[in-house]
Amino acid sequence: MSTTTSMAEKPLPSFDIVATYRRILAQDDELTMPVAAIEALVEAIAHSTVSTVAETLALLEHHTAVLKASIANPISLSAGTDLFQRYLVTTLNRPAALNLGPSDDFRIIRNHLLSNGKLFVDRAKQSREKIASFGTSFIREGATVLTNGGSRVVGALLRRAAESSTMRFKVVYVLSSSKSSDSEGGLKTVADLRAHNVPVAVIPDSAVAYSLGKVDMVIVGAEGVVENGGIISRLGTYQMGLLAKSKGKPFYVVAESHKFVRLYPLSQFDLPIEQKILDFSIAADAKAASATAKPSEDEGVADLNNRRPGLTSDDGVDFTPPDLISGIITESGVLTPSAVSEELIKIWF
Amino acid sequence: MSETAAKEAVQPPTESKDAKPAEGEAPKSAEGETAKKISPAELKKQKAAEKQARRAQQKTTSGPAATPQGPQSKEGAKQQQKGSKQAPKDDKSRPIPTRTKPSQTNIAPPPPQQQSKREAKQDPKQLGLFFGHLYSQPRKHSMVGTSKDVHPAVLALGLQYSSYTICGSTARMVAMLLAFKALIESYHTPKGTSLSRHLIQLLGPQIEYLRDCRPYSISMGNAIRWLKDIIVKTDPSTPEYEAKRDLLEEIDMFIRERVTAADKLIRDVAVTKILPGDVILTYASSSIVEQTLLQAHASGIPFSVIVVDSKPLFEGKTLARKLANAGLKVRYFLITGASHAIKDASKVFLGAHAMMSNGRLYSRVGTALVSMLANAQSLPVIVLCESVKFTEKVALDSIVGNEVAPPEELLSESERYALLHLKPHLPKSHPVTTEETPAEGAKSAPSDVLKWIEASKNLHHLQVLYDVTPAEYIDMVITEYGSLPPSSVPVVHRLSTNI
Repeated sequence: MSTTTSMAEKPLPSFDIVATYRRILAQDDELTMPVAAIEALVEAIAHSTVSTVAETLALLEHHTAVLKASIANPISLSAGTDLFQRYLVTTLNRPAALNLGPSDDFRIIRNHLLSNGKLFVDRAKQSREKIASFGTSFIREGATVLTNGGSRVVGALLRRAAESSTMRFKVVYVLSSSKSSDSEGGLKTVADLRAHNVPVAVIPDSAVAYSLGKVDMVIVGAEGVVENGGIISRLGTYQMGLLAKSKGKPFYVVAESHKFVRLYPLSQFDLPIEQKILDFSIAADAKAASATAKPSEDEGVADLNNRRPGLTSDDGVDFTPPDLISGIITESGVLTPSAVSEELIKIWF
Repeated sequence: MSETAAKEAVQPPTESKDAKPAEGEAPKSAEGETAKKISPAELKKQKAAEKQARRAQQKTTSGPAATPQGPQSKEGAKQQQKGSKQAPKDDKSRPIPTRTKPSQTNIAPPPPQQQSKREAKQDPKQLGLFFGHLYSQPRKHSMVGTSKDVHPAVLALGLQYSSYTICGSTARMVAMLLAFKALIESYHTPKGTSLSRHLIQLLGPQIEYLRDCRPYSISMGNAIRWLKDIIVKTDPSTPEYEAKRDLLEEIDMFIRERVTAADKLIRDVAVTKILPGDVILTYASSSIVEQTLLQAHASGIPFSVIVVDSKPLFEGKTLARKLANAGLKVRYFLITGASHAIKDASKVFLGAHAMMSNGRLYSRVGTALVSMLANAQSLPVIVLCESVKFTEKVALDSIVGNEVAPPEELLSESERYALLHLKPHLPKSHPVTTEETPAEGAKSAPSDVLKWIEASKNLHHLQVLYDVTPAEYIDMVITEYGSLPPSSVPVVHRLSTNI
């Protein structure tokens, strides 16, 4: 692969994938990370002068690696890049599928790819509305829904339910006190819902168990849906899942199918990202004392802490295992957790 | 044994018809006292016993010429069945079973003749309680009475199966395919038939013989189905040498793709699941688990291994030794200590005999226990399994489908010896105490213990080889198609068989 990447080195300086990605994400706040990544990659191909299949794939691989390295939590993003890569491999290897002969100019194939890539982005945006229409049927008249964070899909779903005048429901919204973009999105949804005459209660993470008795169902968003049907989502989702399971409340996940990742975490600590949530430390003066006692060891620890950027508890994620999830609502239908792996196998083989 | 010869389609029907009545008569004339009402299964046991008796007699009378009439008439019957087999060949077949005995004694010394006579009297259905339906055939430990069509390579393989020299479903499947390769290499299509038709027919007795030696594994079944399929699809118009070459190539490719390459892919994924400081617990022995652990060790990950094992096969001993020799830190537990072992472990890696379509794992007996213990400790249970071991069958319990091994393997020689002094404590009603009063205390061999157990009406010993682990105790199945939840087994099975 290294030889092919060196081939792709040439057009690189002319295109900054990370900047493009950030620009796309900033331009449209309705866009999710995987879709923005795909859009950025399509743009990268459009800007490049690639003329062979191998070159295209090498270019793509390079850009993907750069993009993944640039952000702290590439799980969600990698779902999009993997999907696009897979799509490219299958279409490029089978030009017949595009009604093109093998003798056709690569340029035609490329143009086809670019237009299809755009189509994919458009379709991904529409999928949120589709999910909303699927999901609203899960909310019963008079139900109380527990949700968390600033997921746009969940927001769209709840808004859709609120707009249909026939249904009355209440929402318990779990929002952390921190000033992250995530909770900003959540506050916006809360304001929207209240404007639609939906009673909303905002609670902190610590009040989930307390409020669960009044709750009928839990709906959460996800950053990534992994192979075993579990989800990777903002910190606090796992505990909501555990509590909901223990109280017998249905726990639904809403996620577009482009968020399906080829990843199989076995536990919370099996994720391919660095998280600095569990950060053991001792009081500062005791630390100093121990530093003089065992300088070499402490140096190592300090070194380790400095080196790792890691996600903190503000922007951290956790893994909710599939046995806690009642259903995953996607634009292609409502899946059981075990069906996710089947969907992924369908895409990959 | 001789029945199998009769069943074979390749043999002229007239011959097998001749053989049948002779077969039935022979034991009666040989030993009138044991031949009462007999079922086919009993008949077989009886014949085994009789053969052993004959052999013993031959030894005492020093010379095969002096054999009494009874066995000789049986000898004649056998010669008849074998049809084309010549007298010297038959002579040759006699010492061979005795030669296989040492390998058999690795696990269990063969029961002496009187004991197996008594065994013949018992109904095997009763022996197994609700496992009765699994006692269809006693395992074959010799090639006596095997069809002449069975290739020597297959003959040798069968004996290696029955003595556990080749054990483990992948190893058995690969060995079988290699033996079939030898068969195809030396194969010549007879005039008037085509390769695709005749070779399939020829495979029949081979497979049957192998199954008599030990019931075949799921992977073997899959491989056989695949092989038959490609043989049938061979174009009859292709010249024989080309067809043979293609078949051999296909078999090589099958082994390379479904086992060698698959193992490498599985290994590479599984190694990423071993993190520094992990304690990997495994049960019994699986070649793919062994490869994974060795590769992880070679790549410098600091971790240790706990091998949990159980009698009677003690497969884990070999694994533990191999891992320790490679420089890994290994702890060895018997299944009785599994609940302690599991407390120190951080992950459980298991091999598989088969993965069922309902996501259940069919593996060495004891695996279910280990995975349930792990699940109770919320440890991840990871199954490493090539997709060739996937089956469309489902299993709800370990009773309906299982393999019963000879129960005498359960008690090792030393354990039998340790039980010997208990003889005076046997109940008065026990047949052994009532029958053998003259020989009291004369010489009691360790094998007598088995005799006691077999003679007693309310004590049976049972050895099953596999058990079924419910899917909810399995967190992940690593195959060459990637990692899956057990629920995706049927999807991958469909994928791997349709391509």
